[in-house]
Amino acid sequence: MRHFDLRLLAASSLVLVGLAHAARRPQYGGTLHVAIASTPSSLDPAALGQLDAVTCRNLSSLLFDTLVTMDDFGRIRPALALNWQAHPGNQRWQFRLRPGVAFDDGSLLTPGAVAASLRAGNPNWTIYALDDSIAIELNSPDPSLAAELTLPKNSIVKRLPGKVSGTGPFRVSDWQPAKKLVVAASEDYWGGRPFVNSVEITLGTSARDQMMLRELGKTDLIEIAPEQARRTAMEGRRVSESAALELVALVFTHQQPSPEDQKLLDALALSVDRAAIKNVLLQGGGDPAGGILPNWITGYEFLFSTEFNMVAAQQRRAEVPYAPAWTLSCDPADSLSRLIAERLALKAKDAGMTIRPISTGIGDLRLVRTSLVSVNPRVALTQVTAALGLPPPGLSGDNLEELYKSESALLESHRIIPLFHLPVNYGLSPAVKNWGEKRTGAWDLGEVWLGTEKP
Amino acid sequence: MFNLLGRFSRFVLSLLLLSFLLGPARASDWSDPEQQLAQKITAITGPGAVSLDLVNRSSLSQADIDGIRSTLRNQLSAAGLTLVNPDQAAATVQVSLSENLQSYVWVARIQQGTNQPAIEIVSVPRVEPGTPLREPAVLLIRKIQLWSQEDPILDVAVIDSSPPHVIVLDPNKIAMHALEDGQWQLEQAFQVPHSRPWPRDLRGRLVLRKDHLVDAYLPGIFCSSAPGAALNLSCRESDDPWPLASEQVTLNGFFSPTRNFFTGALAPGIGQERTVPPFYSAAPIPREKYVLWVLTGIDGQVREVDGVNVQTLSRPGWGSDMASTKTSCGSGSQVLVSSNSDGATPDTVRAYEFPDREPVPVSQPVELGGRITSLWTESSGSTAVVVSRNWETGKYEAFRLTIACGQ
Repeated sequence: MRHFDLRLLAASSLVLVGLAHAARRPQYGGTLHVAIASTPSSLDPAALGQLDAVTCRNLSSLLFDTLVTMDDFGRIRPALALNWQAHPGNQRWQFRLRPGVAFDDGSLLTPGAVAASLRAGNPNWTIYALDDSIAIELNSPDPSLAAELTLPKNSIVKRLPGKVSGTGPFRVSDWQPAKKLVVAASEDYWGGRPFVNSVEITLGTSARDQMMLRELGKTDLIEIAPEQARRTAMEGRRVSESAALELVALVFTHQQPSPEDQKLLDALALSVDRAAIKNVLLQGGGDPAGGILPNWITGYEFLFSTEFNMVAAQQRRAEVPYAPAWTLSCDPADSLSRLIAERLALKAKDAGMTIRPISTGIGDLRLVRTSLVSVNPRVALTQVTAALGLPPPGLSGDNLEELYKSESALLESHRIIPLFHLPVNYGLSPAVKNWGEKRTGAWDLGEVWLGTEKP
Repeated sequence: MFNLLGRFSRFVLSLLLLSFLLGPARASDWSDPEQQLAQKITAITGPGAVSLDLVNRSSLSQADIDGIRSTLRNQLSAAGLTLVNPDQAAATVQVSLSENLQSYVWVARIQQGTNQPAIEIVSVPRVEPGTPLREPAVLLIRKIQLWSQEDPILDVAVIDSSPPHVIVLDPNKIAMHALEDGQWQLEQAFQVPHSRPWPRDLRGRLVLRKDHLVDAYLPGIFCSSAPGAALNLSCRESDDPWPLASEQVTLNGFFSPTRNFFTGALAPGIGQERTVPPFYSAAPIPREKYVLWVLTGIDGQVREVDGVNVQTLSRPGWGSDMASTKTSCGSGSQVLVSSNSDGATPDTVRAYEFPDREPVPVSQPVELGGRITSLWTESSGSTAVVVSRNWETGKYEAFRLTIACGQ
């Protein structure tokens, strides 16, 4: 197991990429050009949830705020709520709102508007609009409610017919669904006017086209696939890298694995050669994963095995007289997933199993990629299990021992085999300053400013 | 009470501040988690022969690890366990010292026979690391930590009084703390009213005064304490210019109420120059018959203005912040300059002298724990306060920078 050092993590996410804010103060002005692959058809955070979690959060954060935010160290910070209080038992929470904040349609942020927004995404919560605050009552105690409120789905949105309005640092100036989004700096933003005048985002741009645009100096910010990141950096291009926060895993789609299924899944897990996949397919990027959550979030992931042991895999397989041929589905548009699926099938064959990758439909096994958008382990585990259709972890407290037991139980259910944790990478032009890479790969484009360097 | 020349010398004050503020950076006390983990292990194994292996997966220092290993062994022995080699043990215990973002995570994996191993976890909130100093070249920049907090610090003023006080300016308030029995106690705090949102990269400055305690300058806002020793502040919207150096050198600059820089309009001006290009910071270098001003422009250029000529220097390694200091070392006047690092290393501050017009470095760069957010000359004119945001903790830390004469 690789020795883990948070200082190195901080370095990888904040320093080595050469992106942290240097001691040159920010300048105002300019347009930041961005190209991404996603094609959102709506700007409502509820609809953006159909995108991958990182893109959803990043687009949402341009236009909308949440009551509270989480910093890179997992601490909750004020945003639209100035302060908050959990009543004893963590079942009732009260958040006092920041005064004087306005939506981009000019109307003031009120407790009623906040309550209406949160009710839409959380039908199980009872939300009261009070004088200058809101109160949230829950069916069961939740010590991590504040962390949950940092998620994009809890962005404060004013929904009008055919339009959504937010309080975020930017306002929409041009919106062509699935094609283009242009946002302009909000002059009166409560957190301070963004340094750039506008951000122009070209949507639906393939990875190859993004790279070409970057080469031609037509864009400042592009996405870079994890397996491309090292090569791109070695070619002298500027690459930012988050902490390893995207989970690549195999999910068994049958709700209740039989005892025979469990033995075969054990054999399959033992046949996965994570080191080889990391070296060859991931080009050295990412971390082999034994746990659902990475070690930098929990501190205990190393307890979960990532062992590759073909002999043990064959022995485990031999305990089942008849092994059915399983199908393995993955996103056909994701070349990395396809390659990993093929590699897994090959090794499974060595263990005596038949795994057949398929490009359509849902297989007995699914190769999934899902990003963590919270560094709070309780929220992250709940979010990942929901995204993957796994049973909720059923946590009542927020202590680490309970979390470990809950994650152990999920792994022992044989519904999921974690494979890797991957970072989120972006390519940046030299003009992009004060990028301030977050561990979660979150954009903070309000803080970005543009220098005069040529691409 | 707040006599700047009070009976506490700066040296004593510095020692007090140093002894208090460096306290948490000493080797940590791990006795509670050691005891907890030992109890959890003992509860599973019961008395008997066990082997203990300790693996470090964290950023703890070797000294801490050795200490934890030793204490854990002693605690287990005291609880009736006999520590033996694995081949003689009824139970093997592997303790991993791991960590996550907010805590050290100590995990004991206890294997008894062929049973499923038992896992016990103890978490310990992380402590803040200390910050190393570098060796000097000609002059030495000493840094003493003044304050640390999670909210941004815009400036800190130290009042040489009995007991010592510090005033901390942050985006929300001006707070005065007194050092009582080795602990900082909040004495007074005043909210800073502002009708407009603060600009990003918010800047602010505290200036101690002789006829009243303190003035605070923020973009579009001016706060001043009433005459006397207490921190009775009144704030108003104002476009009054900010002082650009200490009280000994009078030049004021108008600060943009919606941006992070001085507009370039000066009062009363540098010689005939009433306006200069917009700039982030300015430092005076007293000459025999005039004062040479060095300005860091928002265009990245460094300008020297003497009242007659404006000369532009290219200093790509310089950041946006400067602070002048009057000392008994070297030429008697140095300029502390922040680095324009590429972000791969923490920002630094280095001292320069200007024998002629060309700056000459006279100290090694002193490293801050992260990126510099503020650098101002203190009211005395002989020291500066720098604020940086620590990369490891995310906290804002204010340090006093003092220039000491080297060998």
